[in-house]
Amino acid sequence: MSEEEMNPAAVPAPVKDVQGDERWMSQHARFVLECKDAEPEVLFVGDSMVQLMAQYEVWRELFSPLHALNFGIGGDTTCNVLWRLQNGELDNIRPKVAVVWVGTNNHEHTAEQVAGGILAIAKLLTSRLPRAKVVVLGLLPRGEWPNPLREKNASVNGLLRSRLPKFGTVQFLDVGGGFVHSDGAISPGDMFDFLHLTAAGYRAVAKPLSDLLLQLLDETPEERRTSLV
Amino acid sequence: SLGEPNPAASPTPGLDTQGDGRWMSMHNRFVSDSKDKEPDVLFVGDSLVQLLHQFEVWRELFSPLHALNFGVGGDATQHVLWRLSNGELDHINPKVVVLWVGTNNHDHTPEQICGGITAIVRLINSKLPCARTLILGVLPRGKSPNPLREKNDQVNHLVQLALPTLPRASYLNVDPGFVHSDGSISHQDLYDYLHLTPHGYQAVCQPLHSAIKALLEAPGEN
Ligand SMILES: [Ca+2]
Repeated sequence: MSEEEMNPAAVPAPVKDVQGDERWMSQHARFVLECKDAEPEVLFVGDSMVQLMAQYEVWRELFSPLHALNFGIGGDTTCNVLWRLQNGELDNIRPKVAVVWVGTNNHEHTAEQVAGGILAIAKLLTSRLPRAKVVVLGLLPRGEWPNPLREKNASVNGLLRSRLPKFGTVQFLDVGGGFVHSDGAISPGDMFDFLHLTAAGYRAVAKPLSDLLLQLLDETPEERRTSLV
Repeated sequence: SLGEPNPAASPTPGLDTQGDGRWMSMHNRFVSDSKDKEPDVLFVGDSLVQLLHQFEVWRELFSPLHALNFGVGGDATQHVLWRLSNGELDHINPKVVVLWVGTNNHDHTPEQICGGITAIVRLINSKLPCARTLILGVLPRGKSPNPLREKNDQVNHLVQLALPTLPRASYLNVDPGFVHSDGSISHQDLYDYLHLTPHGYQAVCQPLHSAIKALLEAPGEN
């Protein structure tokens, strides 16, 4: 068995409809349908951090103009995102950049496994979208005060930072730098429940991300021009 | 059954299953926030209350009414009961309490959930005898018709039946018609078929704002 096959965070899996209203599958089905008419330049995929961004003004201001699609589902783990991407959410679209933000919900997995799950998503994206660039966003710190989940997310980021450079078109962006104050606290003004971002929190994250996306989108046509010469 | 304690009406703190202590952090913040505020309106409940605080409509309609928001994502009736029994009502004297909770009580029957909601109303009345409680109906959920929609409908029906027995409480159905004629709910209103978009909140909040203002202006006696 390969390393990935042994990693439970790299095994594609749909979410079980434990509540009984089939919301997860309805959202996935909608995303697959969106692929049929949309021609996105940028694809966002991940958990609630991705999903909630589309509810704030910053999405319409910075990302809609880039022709971005948002395939975020609250609560998703790396396994759930892998399953969605293998089951229709990449069919019929050819974005130039894919942004991945997932991993903070992998409560049953070690940092090592979570990083492996994220790498598996990046690998799937580069193989299905060979011309696209992939941006992996670092996991944010969480909880009002220092706690084991913050340490785990920081370890995941450390592993991604060292392993992602091996994948040529994938890059890592850590947008979580400013959220922990000098006393170790995270402010509800940035994360309203000490996990999800407020409008102000998204502003801090969105600026460096939007700068990077503009740069990557700008590079793409130039490369094409070079390859034509 | 009769005589057995109702788990939806037994105060219970949120379990820190994930290990980052966020539930208790939020509760502690609400208690300490309430010490320097003098709110006229208190919103209490689950993520539908909590997320409302994040959007422009809050600043537009509810901040001017001197409102505080004590919403915690994922909370069920027993969690709200615990929070209100453990300090969140001890330092404030709001005139109106808006209560919106029940859609997360997955392990409970509609009768139990209604019992949880009425227990919260009675607790509010005992802690804040001058306040009026406005109970908001739980919203439909899921893209297509499903058992949870029926369950939420039943909760709303039972709460309205119980209303005459509840002190200083009223009920408001805030569903502007989210279910279309084909039975579907649009993600333009409920982005994940449960939580409201800013557009969905606009539709909910106009009548809610009017109802709160009417209660604030109503004469003191019940
Ligand atoms: Ca297409």
